[in-house]
Amino acid sequence: MDAQLEQQAIVAAQADPARFAPLYEHYFTIIFRFIHRRTGHRELTADLTQQVFLKAMLALPRYTSRGLPFRAWLYRIALNEVRMYWRKKKEVNMEISAIEWRGLVQEVGVEGHGDEEQRLLRILSRLGEDRQRLIELRYFDGLSFAEVGQVLGIGEDAAKMRTHRVLKAMRDQLGAKA
Amino acid sequence: MKKNYRITPEGAPERLTDAEIAQHRDPQKLLYNYQRARMLLHRRPLYKDPKAFLALLLIVLITILVVEARERKRNEARQAPSRIEQPAP
Repeated sequence: MDAQLEQQAIVAAQADPARFAPLYEHYFTIIFRFIHRRTGHRELTADLTQQVFLKAMLALPRYTSRGLPFRAWLYRIALNEVRMYWRKKKEVNMEISAIEWRGLVQEVGVEGHGDEEQRLLRILSRLGEDRQRLIELRYFDGLSFAEVGQVLGIGEDAAKMRTHRVLKAMRDQLGAKA
Repeated sequence: MKKNYRITPEGAPERLTDAEIAQHRDPQKLLYNYQRARMLLHRRPLYKDPKAFLALLLIVLITILVVEARERKRNEARQAPSRIEQPAP
């Protein structure tokens, strides 16, 4: 959906909630995948996704674009829903595709062999929740820094700076243990 | 909370296809839930509706009166035999 069409769809949905359908149809799959990789449970994901869109519809009259994609706003609502679900959990699993993982591996500068990658995975698992979230949104969900900023409620520059700090910390940990 | 990352191997089929995800898409249900949520959000609380408030007050008052009347009756019934048992002077 191009930006202008999206803006028109948002304005139409703000005026009449029954016209939210095009936005729902367009973003349903990406939000579903976003949640599913964090829960791993299909039925639960369906419920949470429905909840995300319901909350989006209820909050839509207060939504202002500020030049950022609508999907970042939806991701933010989705992340809050997932965090509420995670609150009851002691341990959670997150699925990453090999391509997404490769993106992070290249960014950290790990030479492509298994041991180093396993160590990087362990380092990532031990990072704090806020730091993990930055890496996940940027490298696994493929969001731009502006979108990461919007999801986390910080500016684009702050998102960029924090992500680079996390990457540096990961490189340092890898180097220190080598 | 501990987070584990699981990497799906390259070339592995996607766990969920777009068609499978589409089965969960239900815009009608979403609209219905939205209308229900709006109704609940904008429902006037009972204490702010004068008619409902008066009705509630009336029910509470009647309940109190009935309970008090029953208590009084029970007390009277308890006191009655003790008066009979008293010996004549």
